[in-house]
Amino acid sequence: MDWLPALATGAALLAAATVIGLAWRSRQGVARSGSGDVVHPADLGVAAFGERATLVQFSTEYCARCPATGRLLARLAGEHDGAAHVEVDLTHRPDLAGRFRITETPTTLLLDGDGAVDDGAVRARIAGLPRAAAVRERLDDLLRSPHAVSS
Amino acid sequence: MPSQAESASTGGRTADRTPAGIDPRGPRFGAAITATLLLITVVLAVAGADAAAFWLLVAITLLFAWGAFAGIRRHPYGLIFARLVRPRLAAPAELEDPRPPTFAQGVGFAVGLAGILLSLLGVEYAVPIAAAIAFFAAFLNAAFDYCLGCRIYLLLARARIVPRT
Repeated sequence: MDWLPALATGAALLAAATVIGLAWRSRQGVARSGSGDVVHPADLGVAAFGERATLVQFSTEYCARCPATGRLLARLAGEHDGAAHVEVDLTHRPDLAGRFRITETPTTLLLDGDGAVDDGAVRARIAGLPRAAAVRERLDDLLRSPHAVSS
Repeated sequence: MPSQAESASTGGRTADRTPAGIDPRGPRFGAAITATLLLITVVLAVAGADAAAFWLLVAITLLFAWGAFAGIRRHPYGLIFARLVRPRLAAPAELEDPRPPTFAQGVGFAVGLAGILLSLLGVEYAVPIAAAIAFFAAFLNAAFDYCLGCRIYLLLARARIVPRT
């Protein structure tokens, strides 16, 4: 038996798993550019979007971080005039998970708005528990630009 | 299989059909023990202690089976957590649905079983490779709260392979 290579293998596995974990965590909650895809409230089964911005949160019934995410996003939407938060439960709507390529919950999309509440284009996408500062920055950007119309 | 296809409203949570929540730290506590045992398995196998590695993987796989088929709440690590660890911690911020971690135990069981069967068929390195794969999942769960099984669950639910409540 040769223990040195065995222990080295174990250490290498541990290091590789740690690197993967750190890389995953560094992307959690960070806002990335959205697809620009135009979405209508009826697509998601909700009544209306916000006039200027909408935070669409995809959840599942069995998602541990979703309730905390919902509270955070509702608070952030409340801080901004014309912004709204809607929560979409994917448990019974796997078609939406397919359309928006959701691989984890919560996933949040930031939609813009041109004053109407019946459509919005995807401007940003956040996987995991959102970082409040990242959401606030994107919302501020969106609400500051007066000509932000959905394309 | 209860179906509520048409009443599939968004936003609302159907609390009536959801099993009672569990402390999300329980599965992570168990994953830490599992990850340690799996890493020991890999080291033993690479060192040439084939029999020890094989039987350790068998034991871990049986524990995965326990979690997968009896439910994560009846798993021995879950009981240790509830008895010894949880009383010393503050109440959790959120409870978690037990179905995804139970499903994740099933994924671990499948990987362990594949390693055991391939090893019995004479495939070299089947034990350390299966143990290494399961180690990644268990370690990421324990250290980073990354639930690989939960993602697989969502992907399968998307593909309508697993029943959705």
